[in-house]
Amino acid sequence: MTPPFGHADWNAILPVSIVAVAALLVLVADLFSGAREQRYLPIAIALAGTIVAAAFAARQFGHHYDAFFGGFMVGGFASVFQEIVLVATAGSIVLYGAIGAASRVAGMIAIMLWSACGAMLMSGAANLMMIFLGLELLSLGLYALCGAVDRKTARESALKYLILSSTATGFLLFGSALIFGASGSVRLADLTNPALAASTLFSLGAGMFLIGLVFKLSLVPFHTWTPDVFQGAPLPVTAFMSVATKAGALAVFARFIYAALPPGSAERLLFPVWVVAGISMIVGNVGMLAQHDLKRLLGFSGVAQVGYILVALAGTTALGLRYAIYYLTAYAFMNLGAFAVAAAISGEDEEGARLENYRGLGRRRPVLAAAMTIFLLALAGLPPTAGFLGKILILSSSVASGYIWLGALLIVGTAISLYAYAKVIRLMYERAGEDVPGLRPFVPLAWVSAGVCAALVIAMAFYPLTPSNVLPLVR
Amino acid sequence: MPLVPIVILLPIVAAALCFALPRNDRVVSRTAGTAVALATIAALVAAGDSQWSVRWLSRPFTAAFHFGATPTSLWIALLLALCTACAVATTRVARTRDFVAQMLLLEGTMLGLFLARDLLVFALFWDLMLLPVFFGLMGWGEHPATAWRYFIYNFAGGLTLLLATAAFGIIEGSTDVIGRSGVHLAGAWAPWIYAGFAFAFLVKTPIWPLHTWMPPTYASLPAPMVSVVSAVQSKAGLYGFLAIALALLPDYVREYANPLIVLGAISLIYGAVVALVQTDAKRLVAYSSLSHLGLIVIAVASGNRLALAGALVYIVAHGLFSAALFLVLGYVEEREETRSLLRLGGLGWQNPRLAGALCIAALAALGLPGLAGFVGELLILIGVYQAGYVWPVIVALVAIVLASAYMIRLYQDIMNGPQRSDVTVRADLNWLEALAVTPLLAALVVIGVDPAPLLRL
Repeated sequence: MTPPFGHADWNAILPVSIVAVAALLVLVADLFSGAREQRYLPIAIALAGTIVAAAFAARQFGHHYDAFFGGFMVGGFASVFQEIVLVATAGSIVLYGAIGAASRVAGMIAIMLWSACGAMLMSGAANLMMIFLGLELLSLGLYALCGAVDRKTARESALKYLILSSTATGFLLFGSALIFGASGSVRLADLTNPALAASTLFSLGAGMFLIGLVFKLSLVPFHTWTPDVFQGAPLPVTAFMSVATKAGALAVFARFIYAALPPGSAERLLFPVWVVAGISMIVGNVGMLAQHDLKRLLGFSGVAQVGYILVALAGTTALGLRYAIYYLTAYAFMNLGAFAVAAAISGEDEEGARLENYRGLGRRRPVLAAAMTIFLLALAGLPPTAGFLGKILILSSSVASGYIWLGALLIVGTAISLYAYAKVIRLMYERAGEDVPGLRPFVPLAWVSAGVCAALVIAMAFYPLTPSNVLPLVR
Repeated sequence: MPLVPIVILLPIVAAALCFALPRNDRVVSRTAGTAVALATIAALVAAGDSQWSVRWLSRPFTAAFHFGATPTSLWIALLLALCTACAVATTRVARTRDFVAQMLLLEGTMLGLFLARDLLVFALFWDLMLLPVFFGLMGWGEHPATAWRYFIYNFAGGLTLLLATAAFGIIEGSTDVIGRSGVHLAGAWAPWIYAGFAFAFLVKTPIWPLHTWMPPTYASLPAPMVSVVSAVQSKAGLYGFLAIALALLPDYVREYANPLIVLGAISLIYGAVVALVQTDAKRLVAYSSLSHLGLIVIAVASGNRLALAGALVYIVAHGLFSAALFLVLGYVEEREETRSLLRLGGLGWQNPRLAGALCIAALAALGLPGLAGFVGELLILIGVYQAGYVWPVIVALVAIVLASAYMIRLYQDIMNGPQRSDVTVRADLNWLEALAVTPLLAALVVIGVDPAPLLRL
């Protein structure tokens, strides 16, 4: 009897397996570590794991093949998204160097690594079951992580995320079932069958599937959970959710709209999504205006930023996909950097996310304030940052694909967002009052992470590397 | 390494290095700042019209970090470097070191703008040059709301510029087009692209009714920075019209000339009338700028060769006299701690150098023959008349008469009349301040007598 899966199949998920094994190692190491290395040993193992996994994912980049009977697509697109997820994971894990009780760090890192496995599976998932598997693996870990501190807001955050996210998963699952009912196949490649274009069942299923994804991407009108969950969750978890979850969901979304829709039906099925993206850019940016908490602010910001990325995908052009990936990468560094700064100035408990804590940072921590300024300028799309170039590329894409109204909404949204981001910058360079709370001393990991992200956000503006062979997405 | 990128990088790098200087040593910071600004003048002259280019994007359109002066931009860049040197030399604001850094950043970003030969790089520096002014308003201005108003107006302009640039790039295939002949955009998109550019340029210039950010910004900025902003940054929009709109979309500038001329004429007369009744000296000059720049917009819209030649002369002339006016008003404000025309008076009796400097600058502003302003105005009026626009010329003549009225009033109220007993008259210009305004005034005279180098376009 031949084994159901061969060598190639296991090779395909090698990066995912490495991350999963790293999580186990973290737990084992924690058993034998004393109080001194309790915090840094797990971080070191996790970072090593992500780096090795990233190296293997990079090696797969040029080799396109499908594994698990078409359930998982290796190479190109999947590799790129896996890299982004790994960057997000590493960038979030280093924040545990500054945040959280040392005795709990190992457990949280292990769960985060397993969540990352879910997002990595989603990056390559090419059938509906694999998508669901990845999504659940990602989400289950996050439910635990959100509530992993003793704080009322954290418990509220976890519960809120559990209930709302499960609802969305329900939509996605029911949509998948309907799609399977209409097409008789769970493989995304089989959904391009022209006969499906006329099927009401398929349209209904695809619609519900998309609603589930829109929720995971936290687009309007399913965005209301984002600020609350972001605010309540521990800082590294928020950082992880703001990038890795979005990367995973975007990978599925991109694969679905680019490669899994019957010809002729894309326009009709996706138009509501573009409208939703347009509204998200406005609502997300307006929502930022009234925030007094950095995590909430970045939550709303993420709503709008995903909107920007979808503008690039509108029209489903090959170039648009590359620009979406470029912007997502840039967004990953901006956000991770901003969270690194937040971690570097915050206490272990209260997490320094209140914007009030940033008052006078320019004088007290000029380097951190400068880095934060770069991240905020990038989020606002100002030069000389990757955010600026990303906006240009997305605008070009919207012009080229005929969705210029989305480009115009992007402009309006950006103008609104500027006020919110610049408000934080202004706060940092204002004179601090008398009763400023003491700043924590130098936290090496968070500082280094902020510095690396700042350098990359600037460098990406001048070396716009966009991956070229990310297509084809299904076979 | 070639000289052109050095010209741009020198002030920007120097701005960052400023923070290594001693925090509280005013003389060291401003000496260093002046030296950098003078070095950029030398580098600009040495670089001449050489070019430098590095590929930036190859998809969806080609773009390059392509820099190099055109005849038009070289003059504006020289004006910029000169104004910066003069303004930095006598800076006396609080936290001088940080302020000088902002001034150098402003110089570097604006040099990048004027030397850019690529639309996308132009748009990049367009947004960048807002930052130092924003920080200047935040750190040294009178009210943060002014900074926001400045930033939001101009950033909105920057965004339409960005969208238009992206559309241009997609249609043309390249944004590396400034100063290149033979690129003419046409088609259904072109009017919208022109509209995007024009909005950005008109906000920046500014032109009525988009000018409301300008008077408070000019009144609120410290004198050294406002002299550079009014002298050069306000020319970014006009330069955009000359180098981008007229060169790449000439048909649409011609087609939509009438709205531009009407807006220019309204600004011309509105600015002049409002300047008449201002009691704040800096606001008076701000509104006079609105009026003068309206004239240049009319010249650009007319498309006449003579008017365009005059526009460049007037761009430089306005830069020189508005920089000089704001610098001198800054000196007055430092001494008397007010710039209200109701409180000032009689300063000229004991301060001949101060009075002389303000006198020459004000005379240039009102268009006295023999000074640079006159040459520009005359050429523009003749050119616009030749192009067949009679009524704008009549409006402009009225505004020029009004300009004499408000400029003479400015001089009278500050320098002449009885000395106010409640205002202590302090020292005259010291040698350094005199040295700082002299190049500006001398250039006004030289161009007024012999504008030929500027006219050889």
